Amino acid sequence: MSTLFSLTIEHMVLVLIAIAISAIIGVILGIICYWVLYLDKVILWVVDSLQTIPSLALLALLMIFFGLGNTTLIIGLILYSLLPIVRNTYIGLTGVPPHLKDAAKGMGMSKLQRMRKVELPLSFPLIFSGIKIATVTALSIAVIGVLIGSGGLGYPIYRGIQTMNFGAIIKGTLPVVIMAVIFDFLMSKVEYKLVKRAK
Amino acid sequence: MKKKLLSMAIGAMTLLSLALTGCGSKDTVVIGSKDFSENIILGEILSQLVENKTDLKVERKLNMGGTFINFEALKKGDIDLYAEYTGTGLTAHLKMDVITDSDEAYRVVSEEFEKQFDISWMEPMGFNNTYAIAVTREAAEEYGLETCSDLIGVSENLVFGAENEFFNREDGFEGFCDLYGLSFKGDPKMMNVSLKYQAIGNGDMDATDAYTTDAEIVKYDLQVLEDDLNFFPPYYAAPIVRNETLKNHPELEEVLNLLAGQISDEEMTELNYQVNVEQTAVDQVAKGFLESKGLLD
Repeated sequence: MSTLFSLTIEHMVLVLIAIAISAIIGVILGIICYWVLYLDKVILWVVDSLQTIPSLALLALLMIFFGLGNTTLIIGLILYSLLPIVRNTYIGLTGVPPHLKDAAKGMGMSKLQRMRKVELPLSFPLIFSGIKIATVTALSIAVIGVLIGSGGLGYPIYRGIQTMNFGAIIKGTLPVVIMAVIFDFLMSKVEYKLVKRAK
Repeated sequence: MKKKLLSMAIGAMTLLSLALTGCGSKDTVVIGSKDFSENIILGEILSQLVENKTDLKVERKLNMGGTFINFEALKKGDIDLYAEYTGTGLTAHLKMDVITDSDEAYRVVSEEFEKQFDISWMEPMGFNNTYAIAVTREAAEEYGLETCSDLIGVSENLVFGAENEFFNREDGFEGFCDLYGLSFKGDPKMMNVSLKYQAIGNGDMDATDAYTTDAEIVKYDLQVLEDDLNFFPPYYAAPIVRNETLKNHPELEEVLNLLAGQISDEEMTELNYQVNVEQTAVDQVAKGFLESKGLLD
């Protein structure tokens, strides 16, 4: 059987892959929300609703289409991570001070240039904090991946629950908690720097 | 520079995800199991047996969610085999009525699975892990309970709780109460299967469903009530395998049937006890069992 260490690494890699993909999709969706009138409500409603589906139900549904294993878990985690990322991107972009947008326009920048050079950089601290929330949440949701046959720390935790072995439950849970704390700490530091630089 | 780093990171992650997903090769058999100890032990026994007796590689997908996930995965070909119970095959997968005769039940499921799902039932492994109703020692003594019929007239004083699945089955809570004419105190409590014995041990409830091979019956000193009206169907466990897998690896059938009739009720309870109460690792318990039967080369 795999060691606790290798399961921890696997757990982390699964989450990071999902977050990386979710960040790309989420920021794009956030920009679409900001650019296209009326679509903002639809997109935000969809990502909101995704969040309300119980995680096991979502994974069981995804399993029917994508089969067992890590891919399905990653897809599930991506869907769960979208909400904070899309929402923060949207809030960040709408929150850029109007005089800065006007100034950029006045300099003759195109819509795309304004996004790349002004709006996106100014919203980045908020987007990053969305990614941080998504990462910490995904670390704990990934535990149920074992129920659809994917790797990570779910197996030792569920075995601990099934055999009422509290030592085993804690041994499996601790790495999840430690990872969450470390990620939260490091990303908060980055976030702080980003906010300071933006000011 | 920044862009290069980003694209490198994305590239690395894509590669990693491909590596993690690991496309199963042709000579690999994927063995699944449900999410409770007995089924995981059986999954591990089957895995070790296949590894020992054939040249095939085994990929273990043990401890996946309940019956639904395993069966869907088997139909799709995500797994090649897992251990199923005749009663579950009959009521959950075929949606048929309960058959109380165990040979007849096995005959019907093997025929229908062949026809409807292209899946084969191997020989049963021997034990019958059926449902039973178990009550606390105190309740049994206070009301003099030995059979399920003894519950008539006193069940109103008892709190019933069970895992969610028991409330959604043909042969579950509702049918049981209807046949015996029972109603329990308040609403029944529903919980995760692993927490059931903990709850009855804590005194949160007086009666629950038990699997007859559960080690916790011994651990928590519960009284199992005799099913005198024969409500619960037989649940003989057997490996079920995709026919496609059997076609590609015909040697599997003989190997899996080495387990036919090898595990009695008492032996299965003992294996469950080793894992759930003595906390021995599943792979050790499986290995010990196979060695004691002389099934490992």
